[in-house]
Amino acid sequence: MSALRLQQLKGQILPENKITTMAGSPSPLTTHVLNTAMGVPGSNMTLRLYQQDPSTNVWKLITAGATNVDGRCPGLITKEQFKPGVYKIHFETAQYWESVGETSFYPYVEIVFTITNADQKYHVPLLVSRFSYSTYRGS
Amino acid sequence: MSATESSPLSTHVLNTSDGVPGAKMALSLHRLDSKLMIWTMISVGTTNEDGRCPGLISQEAFTPGMYKLRFETGSYWESLGQICFYPYVEVVFTIRELSQKLHLPLLMSRFSYSTYRGS
Repeated sequence: MSALRLQQLKGQILPENKITTMAGSPSPLTTHVLNTAMGVPGSNMTLRLYQQDPSTNVWKLITAGATNVDGRCPGLITKEQFKPGVYKIHFETAQYWESVGETSFYPYVEIVFTITNADQKYHVPLLVSRFSYSTYRGS
Repeated sequence: MSATESSPLSTHVLNTSDGVPGAKMALSLHRLDSKLMIWTMISVGTTNEDGRCPGLISQEAFTPGMYKLRFETGSYWESLGQICFYPYVEVVFTIRELSQKLHLPLLMSRFSYSTYRGS
Protein backbone atom coordinates (compact mmCIF):
# COMPACT_ATOMS: atom_id res chain seq x y z
CA MET A 1 0.00 0.00 0.00
CA SER A 2 1.43 3.40 -0.87
CA ALA A 3 2.12 5.96 1.85
CA LEU A 4 -0.38 8.31 0.21
CA ARG A 5 -3.14 5.68 0.24
CA LEU A 6 -2.40 4.83 3.88
CA GLN A 7 -2.66 8.54 4.79
CA GLN A 8 -6.04 8.79 3.01
CA LEU A 9 -7.37 5.74 4.86
CA LYS A 10 -6.17 7.10 8.21
CA GLY A 11 -8.03 10.31 7.52
CA GLN A 12 -11.25 8.37 7.07
CA ILE A 13 -11.09 5.83 9.89
CA LEU A 14 -9.88 7.95 12.82
CA PRO A 15 -13.17 9.36 14.18
CA GLU A 16 -11.59 12.22 16.11
CA ASN A 17 -9.80 13.48 13.03
CA LYS A 18 -12.64 15.62 11.76
CA ILE A 19 -10.50 17.22 9.09
CA THR A 20 -9.36 15.19 6.14
CA THR A 21 -6.62 16.55 3.95
CA MET A 22 -7.26 16.83 0.24
CA ALA A 23 -4.57 14.93 -1.61
CA GLY A 24 -3.08 13.42 1.53
CA SER A 25 -0.06 15.74 1.71
CA PRO A 26 0.54 17.00 5.23
CA SER A 27 -0.45 20.50 6.21
CA PRO A 28 2.47 22.98 6.09
CA LEU A 29 1.08 24.42 9.32
CA THR A 30 0.74 22.25 12.41
CA THR A 31 -0.10 22.75 16.05
CA HIS A 32 0.23 20.72 19.24
CA VAL A 33 -1.59 21.42 22.48
CA LEU A 34 0.12 20.34 25.69
CA ASN A 35 -1.59 20.46 29.07
CA THR A 36 1.43 21.42 31.14
CA ALA A 37 -0.51 21.30 34.42
CA MET A 38 -1.28 17.62 34.06
CA GLY A 39 1.64 16.59 31.85
CA VAL A 40 -0.61 15.24 29.10
CA PRO A 41 -1.54 16.22 25.55
CA GLY A 42 -4.40 18.69 25.38
CA SER A 43 -6.82 16.42 23.59
CA ASN A 44 -10.32 17.28 22.40
CA MET A 45 -9.66 21.02 22.42
CA THR A 46 -11.71 22.89 19.85
CA LEU A 47 -9.70 25.20 17.65
CA ARG A 48 -10.13 27.31 14.52
CA LEU A 49 -7.63 28.58 11.97
CA TYR A 50 -8.25 31.96 10.33
CA GLN A 51 -6.49 33.74 7.49
CA GLN A 52 -6.56 37.53 7.34
CA ASP A 53 -7.64 39.15 4.11
CA PRO A 54 -4.77 41.58 3.36
CA SER A 55 -6.99 44.24 1.78
CA THR A 56 -9.95 44.24 4.21
CA ASN A 57 -8.24 42.85 7.37
CA VAL A 58 -11.27 40.60 7.78
CA TRP A 59 -10.58 37.16 9.26
CA LYS A 60 -11.64 34.24 7.09
CA LEU A 61 -12.24 30.86 8.70
CA ILE A 62 -10.07 28.20 7.07
CA THR A 63 -10.59 25.18 9.31
CA ALA A 64 -12.55 24.32 12.44
CA GLY A 65 -11.71 21.20 14.34
CA ALA A 66 -10.48 19.69 17.56
CA THR A 67 -7.22 18.19 18.73
CA ASN A 68 -6.92 14.42 18.68
CA VAL A 69 -5.83 12.18 21.55
CA ASP A 70 -2.23 13.29 20.99
CA GLY A 71 -3.16 16.98 21.16
CA ARG A 72 -2.60 17.45 17.43
CA CYS A 73 -4.87 18.56 14.63
CA PRO A 74 -3.75 17.29 11.22
CA GLY A 75 -4.96 18.85 8.02
CA LEU A 76 -5.14 22.46 9.20
CA ILE A 77 -4.53 23.90 5.76
CA THR A 78 -3.55 22.72 2.29
CA LYS A 79 -0.36 23.73 0.57
CA GLU A 80 -2.41 25.57 -2.06
CA GLN A 81 -4.30 27.67 0.47
CA PHE A 82 -1.18 28.45 2.48
CA LYS A 83 -0.04 31.83 1.18
CA PRO A 84 2.10 34.48 2.93
CA GLY A 85 0.03 36.64 5.25
CA VAL A 86 -1.34 36.93 8.75
CA TYR A 87 -3.04 33.96 10.38
CA LYS A 88 -4.50 33.19 13.74
CA ILE A 89 -5.34 30.04 15.63
CA HIS A 90 -8.14 30.36 18.15
CA PHE A 91 -8.01 27.76 20.95
CA GLU A 92 -11.10 27.18 23.11
CA THR A 93 -9.16 26.86 26.35
CA ALA A 94 -11.93 27.55 28.92
CA GLN A 95 -14.16 25.01 27.23
CA TYR A 96 -11.31 22.50 27.43
CA TRP A 97 -10.67 23.10 31.14
CA GLU A 98 -14.40 22.94 31.83
CA SER A 99 -14.52 19.50 30.23
CA VAL A 100 -11.96 18.31 32.81
CA GLY A 101 -13.92 19.98 35.60
CA GLU A 102 -11.80 23.10 36.04
CA THR A 103 -11.99 26.81 35.39
CA SER A 104 -9.48 28.75 33.34
CA PHE A 105 -8.12 32.28 33.62
CA TYR A 106 -8.16 32.48 29.83
CA PRO A 107 -11.56 32.10 28.11
CA TYR A 108 -9.69 31.43 24.88
CA VAL A 109 -6.22 31.88 23.47
CA GLU A 110 -5.57 33.40 20.07
CA ILE A 111 -2.13 33.24 18.55
CA VAL A 112 -1.67 35.64 15.67
CA PHE A 113 1.35 35.12 13.45
CA THR A 114 2.83 36.27 10.16
CA ILE A 115 3.86 33.85 7.44
CA THR A 116 6.50 35.38 5.20
CA ASN A 117 7.68 32.25 3.37
CA ALA A 118 4.89 29.78 2.65
CA ASP A 119 7.36 27.16 1.41
CA GLN A 120 8.53 26.45 4.93
CA LYS A 121 6.90 24.29 7.59
CA TYR A 122 5.49 26.08 10.61
CA HIS A 123 4.67 24.50 13.94
CA VAL A 124 2.66 26.66 16.36
CA PRO A 125 2.22 24.73 19.61
CA LEU A 126 0.31 25.83 22.70
CA LEU A 127 1.58 24.82 26.12
CA VAL A 128 -1.24 25.60 28.49
CA SER A 129 -2.26 25.37 32.11
CA ARG A 130 -5.22 27.04 33.84
CA PHE A 131 -3.19 30.15 34.64
CA SER A 132 -0.43 30.29 32.04
CA TYR A 133 0.40 29.56 28.43
CA SER A 134 3.26 29.78 26.03
CA THR A 135 3.90 29.31 22.36
CA TYR A 136 6.85 29.31 20.00
CA ARG A 137 7.61 28.89 16.35
CA GLY A 138 8.74 25.33 15.79
CA SER A 139 9.25 23.16 12.74
CA MET B 1 -5.13 57.68 35.17
CA SER B 2 -4.41 58.53 38.80
CA ALA B 3 -0.74 58.44 39.64
CA THR B 4 -1.42 58.34 43.38
CA GLU B 5 -3.42 55.11 43.48
CA SER B 6 -1.67 52.13 41.91
CA SER B 7 -3.48 50.04 39.35
CA PRO B 8 -4.81 46.64 40.56
CA LEU B 9 -3.63 45.26 37.22
CA SER B 10 0.02 45.41 36.26
CA THR B 11 2.13 44.02 33.48
CA HIS B 12 5.83 43.54 32.79
CA VAL B 13 7.31 42.94 29.38
CA LEU B 14 10.56 41.01 29.22
CA ASN B 15 12.62 40.62 26.07
CA THR B 16 13.96 37.12 26.69
CA SER B 17 16.11 37.18 23.54
CA ASP B 18 18.27 40.00 24.76
CA GLY B 19 17.75 39.56 28.50
CA VAL B 20 16.40 43.08 28.93
CA PRO B 21 13.07 44.64 29.81
CA GLY B 22 10.79 45.22 26.83
CA ALA B 23 10.92 49.00 27.00
CA LYS B 24 8.87 51.39 24.88
CA MET B 25 6.35 48.76 23.81
CA ALA B 26 2.89 50.12 23.05
CA LEU B 27 0.05 48.30 24.72
CA SER B 28 -3.64 48.74 25.42
CA LEU B 29 -6.21 47.35 27.84
CA HIS B 30 -9.74 46.56 26.71
CA ARG B 31 -12.89 45.28 28.36
CA LEU B 32 -15.60 43.28 26.67
CA ASP B 33 -19.01 44.91 26.86
CA SER B 34 -21.02 41.75 27.46
CA LYS B 35 -24.30 43.28 26.27
CA LEU B 36 -23.03 44.68 22.98
CA MET B 37 -20.31 42.01 22.60
CA ILE B 38 -17.72 44.55 21.56
CA TRP B 39 -14.34 45.48 23.01
CA THR B 40 -14.00 48.94 24.52
CA MET B 41 -10.57 50.43 25.17
CA ILE B 42 -9.85 51.25 28.81
CA SER B 43 -6.34 52.62 28.51
CA VAL B 44 -3.41 52.81 26.16
CA GLY B 45 0.21 53.30 27.05
CA THR B 46 3.83 52.42 26.50
CA THR B 47 6.11 50.42 28.73
CA ASN B 48 8.80 52.38 30.55
CA GLU B 49 12.54 51.59 30.71
CA ASP B 50 11.79 48.76 33.10
CA GLY B 51 9.20 47.20 30.78
CA ARG B 52 6.33 48.21 33.05
CA CYS B 53 3.26 50.36 32.46
CA PRO B 54 1.81 51.86 35.65
CA GLY B 55 -1.72 53.15 35.85
CA LEU B 56 -3.43 50.66 33.56
CA ILE B 57 -6.79 50.82 35.34
CA SER B 58 -8.32 52.18 38.54
CA GLN B 59 -9.58 49.94 41.33
CA GLU B 60 -13.17 51.15 40.74
CA ALA B 61 -13.10 50.38 37.03
CA PHE B 62 -11.61 46.90 37.48
CA THR B 63 -14.90 45.04 37.87
CA PRO B 64 -15.54 41.38 37.00
CA GLY B 65 -15.69 40.70 33.30
CA MET B 66 -13.59 39.75 30.30
CA TYR B 67 -10.52 41.83 29.51
CA LYS B 68 -7.72 41.79 27.01
CA LEU B 69 -4.26 43.23 27.14
CA ARG B 70 -2.86 43.87 23.68
CA PHE B 71 0.89 44.21 23.16
CA GLU B 72 2.26 45.73 19.96
CA THR B 73 5.06 43.23 19.57
CA GLY B 74 5.49 43.73 15.81
CA SER B 75 6.15 47.47 16.19
CA TYR B 76 8.47 46.81 19.12
CA TRP B 77 10.76 44.47 17.20
CA GLU B 78 10.58 46.71 14.15
CA SER B 79 11.95 49.60 16.23
CA LEU B 80 14.90 47.31 17.00
CA GLY B 81 15.37 46.60 13.30
CA GLN B 82 14.08 43.04 13.51
CA ILE B 83 11.05 41.10 12.38
CA CYS B 84 8.79 39.24 14.76
CA PHE B 85 6.66 36.17 14.12
CA TYR B 86 3.81 37.78 16.06
CA PRO B 87 2.43 41.12 14.75
CA TYR B 88 0.77 41.60 18.14
CA VAL B 89 -0.10 39.55 21.20
CA GLU B 90 -3.49 39.70 22.84
CA VAL B 91 -3.95 38.07 26.23
CA VAL B 92 -7.64 37.60 26.97
CA PHE B 93 -8.56 36.87 30.58
CA THR B 94 -11.56 36.61 32.89
CA ILE B 95 -11.96 38.42 36.19
CA ARG B 96 -14.53 36.64 38.32
CA GLU B 97 -14.22 38.58 41.54
CA LEU B 98 -12.71 41.84 42.64
CA SER B 99 -9.00 41.06 42.59
CA GLN B 100 -6.51 42.51 45.00
CA LYS B 101 -3.54 42.60 42.70
CA LEU B 102 -3.17 40.94 39.36
CA HIS B 103 0.12 40.76 37.45
CA LEU B 104 0.15 39.75 33.79
CA PRO B 105 3.69 39.60 32.43
CA LEU B 106 4.72 38.92 28.86
CA LEU B 107 8.01 37.14 28.31
CA MET B 108 8.81 37.31 24.67
CA SER B 109 11.34 36.84 21.93
CA ARG B 110 10.94 37.18 18.17
CA PHE B 111 9.64 33.62 17.86
CA SER B 112 8.07 32.77 21.20
CA TYR B 113 6.15 34.22 24.11
CA SER B 114 4.64 33.18 27.39
CA THR B 115 2.37 34.70 29.96
CA TYR B 116 1.00 33.71 33.32
CA ARG B 117 -1.26 34.98 36.05
CA GLY B 118 0.87 36.41 38.82
CA SER B 119 0.28 38.65 41.78
